[in-house]
Amino acid sequence: MSWSRIWPYRSRRRVRSEVDEELSYHLARRVEALRRQGYSAAEAEQEALRRFGDVRRTRAVCVAADERREGRMKRRDWWHEVWGDARIGLRVLGRRPGFAVAATATLALAIGTATAMYSVADHVLFRSLPFEAPERAVTLWEYDTREGAEREVAPGNFLDWRRRVTRLERLALAEPTGADLTGAGTPEALRGWAVTVDWFAAVGVKPLLGRTFNADDYQADLGAVVLSYELWQRRFGGDASIVGRTIQLERSAVPVVGVLRPHLQYPTQDAEIWLPKRFRPGEVEDRRSDYMLVVGRLSDGTTLGQAREELAAVARWQSEEYPVTNSNYAIVARPLPEQLLGSARPALLLLLGAVGFVLLIACANVSGLLLARGADRERELAVRGALGCGRARLVRQLLTESAVLAALSGLAGLALAAALVGMLPRLAPAGLPRIEAVALDLRIAGAAVLLTMAAAVLFGVMPALRASRTDLMMPLRAARTLRPGQGLRRGLVIGELALALILVTGAGLLARSFVRLLDNELGFDPERRATLQVFIWDLNPTSEERVLVVRRLLERFEAVPGVLSAAAVSALPLHPHQITSQTQLLPLGEPDPLPGSERIVQVTVATPGYLRTLAIPLRRGRPFSDADDARATRVILVNETLARAFFGSEDPVGRRVRTGPPGSQVEREIVGVVGDVRAGGFESPPAPELYVPHAQSGTGSLTFVVHTRGRAGLVMTALRDALWAEEPEQSIYHEATLEELLAGTLAARRFHLLLLAAFSLLSFALAALGTYALISYATRLRFPEIGVRMALGARSGEIARMIVAEGVGLALPGIALGVLGSLLLTRLLAGMLYGVSATDPLTLVQVCAAILAVAATAAYLPARRAARLDPARTLRADG
Amino acid sequence: MQPAQLIRGTLDVLILKTLVAAPQHGYGVASLIEERTSGALQIDDGALYQSLHRMEERGWVESEWGHAESGKRARFYRLTPPGRKRLKQGTAEWVRYVEAVFKVLEPGTAT
Repeated sequence: MSWSRIWPYRSRRRVRSEVDEELSYHLARRVEALRRQGYSAAEAEQEALRRFGDVRRTRAVCVAADERREGRMKRRDWWHEVWGDARIGLRVLGRRPGFAVAATATLALAIGTATAMYSVADHVLFRSLPFEAPERAVTLWEYDTREGAEREVAPGNFLDWRRRVTRLERLALAEPTGADLTGAGTPEALRGWAVTVDWFAAVGVKPLLGRTFNADDYQADLGAVVLSYELWQRRFGGDASIVGRTIQLERSAVPVVGVLRPHLQYPTQDAEIWLPKRFRPGEVEDRRSDYMLVVGRLSDGTTLGQAREELAAVARWQSEEYPVTNSNYAIVARPLPEQLLGSARPALLLLLGAVGFVLLIACANVSGLLLARGADRERELAVRGALGCGRARLVRQLLTESAVLAALSGLAGLALAAALVGMLPRLAPAGLPRIEAVALDLRIAGAAVLLTMAAAVLFGVMPALRASRTDLMMPLRAARTLRPGQGLRRGLVIGELALALILVTGAGLLARSFVRLLDNELGFDPERRATLQVFIWDLNPTSEERVLVVRRLLERFEAVPGVLSAAAVSALPLHPHQITSQTQLLPLGEPDPLPGSERIVQVTVATPGYLRTLAIPLRRGRPFSDADDARATRVILVNETLARAFFGSEDPVGRRVRTGPPGSQVEREIVGVVGDVRAGGFESPPAPELYVPHAQSGTGSLTFVVHTRGRAGLVMTALRDALWAEEPEQSIYHEATLEELLAGTLAARRFHLLLLAAFSLLSFALAALGTYALISYATRLRFPEIGVRMALGARSGEIARMIVAEGVGLALPGIALGVLGSLLLTRLLAGMLYGVSATDPLTLVQVCAAILAVAATAAYLPARRAARLDPARTLRADG
Repeated sequence: MQPAQLIRGTLDVLILKTLVAAPQHGYGVASLIEERTSGALQIDDGALYQSLHRMEERGWVESEWGHAESGKRARFYRLTPPGRKRLKQGTAEWVRYVEAVFKVLEPGTAT
């Protein structure tokens, strides 16, 4: 018998020699036959070759065909063997379904969550932005060194920069703007930006259709407009012929020159139109109105640091040149990607870290399970080794089992990841760039599966190696002693507990922050309130007209069924597009403040029903009434913060104040004090604020708010109809319920808390499982010993305590390590916390107690089992 | 008369046919074809081996080393079930082809 039984395949050389043998046999037979027919030896040979044709070619064709066949056979047999091994693996797994389910579920959960999270993070953070060379784009900001506050940019400053800065090119500015779109369909107020000519090049945006602005657009009488992809789809049905046509903006025809690509735009994702920015005469010298955005590109060969140096010099020059407006002034330059992802990055990185921990815990868990199983099977393996089964064969079998396990988990994990990736964008806060385009990343899924597979293989095969390397007889002799793998397994569980503790601490801190935040009084009631923002300046040019139309609209709104009360306000709390304004305030009788030390307060214009509609409490005095009109005494309400700041403990009601900039100050009387309002949501502290009656101001930037009996969203259509019944041409800028707006301010926190809580729960459960598995295994090994103890008179309670103590003994080093890790790592959370320190002792103590309780509980189940042992039976049974 | 050239693909069918009765080595296949056609077909022996190896690659025949009558080692080819199927199919095709050609060439229909 040759070794061809073991290796049935033919080598290349063999293939060739067989073909040669076959062909020469043929030729020999042919020559023989020809000789019989009377050919001479030489003639016969010649004739045989002639009849054969091209020998060399035939040989090559035959060899090639044989080699192909050989290769295919090899591959087929290989797959056949793998499949056979896999089937054995499945059968072996099926023999212990508990182990199989625990291991598969653990790995699948970890692979699924990790893949989903990394897919999201990779998409949002690491894949390059849809801009050209985004790392060269730099955003510029003014910085108030006195207040430590970053501001947007005033046009005069931008023009200085554009003239003087050389290390940044294509400096461009964008001013928030809007325009009413009329023509086909309902009138609509579009949000947009007026930009200087280099804007698109500076950001690195190319149009989808047509072009962006050129210098001529800034001279053209008609102007020009670039549309966002979303607007183009929504209002113009994605019609490519829109470029070159005109649309009705602000009641005049404006030619469309281009359409941008979908998704992320800078500065805002909801921008719908782009218009050429023309500087008004006053703006060129305006270094105060800081509400514009500036972007530029680093010049070739310039670093950000060099650009910053130059900007610092320009800022110094400006401070000397314009001391009134530009003292305490600096320029901040920040790369565009950082600007866009600034707030999302730390949170996402944190969540990535968290999910990495979960993956580690899962690997540790499965490794522990495999180690225990390996130890269990050490005897079996040793027996097989003793019977002559080669080490390679044992390793191959265990390897296959591990691989089957990893493959099953990988599949389940991928399914989970796909489901999660579908879900995450819906949970995510609005600010995450491009979250809507997230897709499951197969490379990441592959990496996760590989990692778990590596762990499974490593820990699955180790026992086999040990079994085959060490003295084969040893495990046979000492079947029931603690195995060397136990120490490693203990280490794994301790590590798991420590990691889980760190995660749970992080989630606990976030949860505590969230609760602290919700404890804050908003100062108004957001429930059952619908809002509608409009700008009525154009249709109602005079103040008197606006006051009248607002009064008529409020009457109509209050007549809508289900509306309890209605009011209008200039800046509604929580509103993303609130237009706030500030003024100087000076109580009469106090000396004029020195320049630079004026006291600035928020000014909110409101109709008399505003306090009632938002349920803002009146603390003193009286609310506004309809009598507070343009002819009456000018009155204001102040909030408690303002009252405290300006009047201390005195009663401000009846006090007279001057408001407005020097030179155009107005005298007003304080008629009441109202409760503080957190205008930006739970996180924003109340600011000093005064209220002016709309009848005495006549502003046209208004948000209507109504208090409804039922759900606020239900009256939206009726409100719109009521508006258009009064003012058919009026466009609506924004509509929402206050609850939606409130949810928006909490969305990011909720997202992070939700995910971190989910991860920490998962880690908790996994660590508990790991602890349970280890204790229960170790307990099983000790059954004979326990039997002896019980036979010698130990009571079941003592036995149970002994086992639980073992669980606690695992938890304590885990807790020590975890606390250490928490103290090091929760610092990274600091930016996401509110009202609680990153090393909050209360949270830590609670989490430690929870971990201890979990470990004790995990140990309690096997402990109970041990306590119920029948000593007689354990002592008898040795197998 | 010159021996006729063989139409491509027909050789496979002829070889398969010679293997129906019993396994043959290449020389045996060649002899059988010569015998039955009395030399009317001209087939290069090389082409025959190329065909055999290609058919083995396709799984129509399989080979095994055995001993010829002379006692020398020779490679014997045997028909496989797919090969049998191919033979049936090839024969049917060939018959259809011949019938079609014959219909045109039939003396009665000529004008």
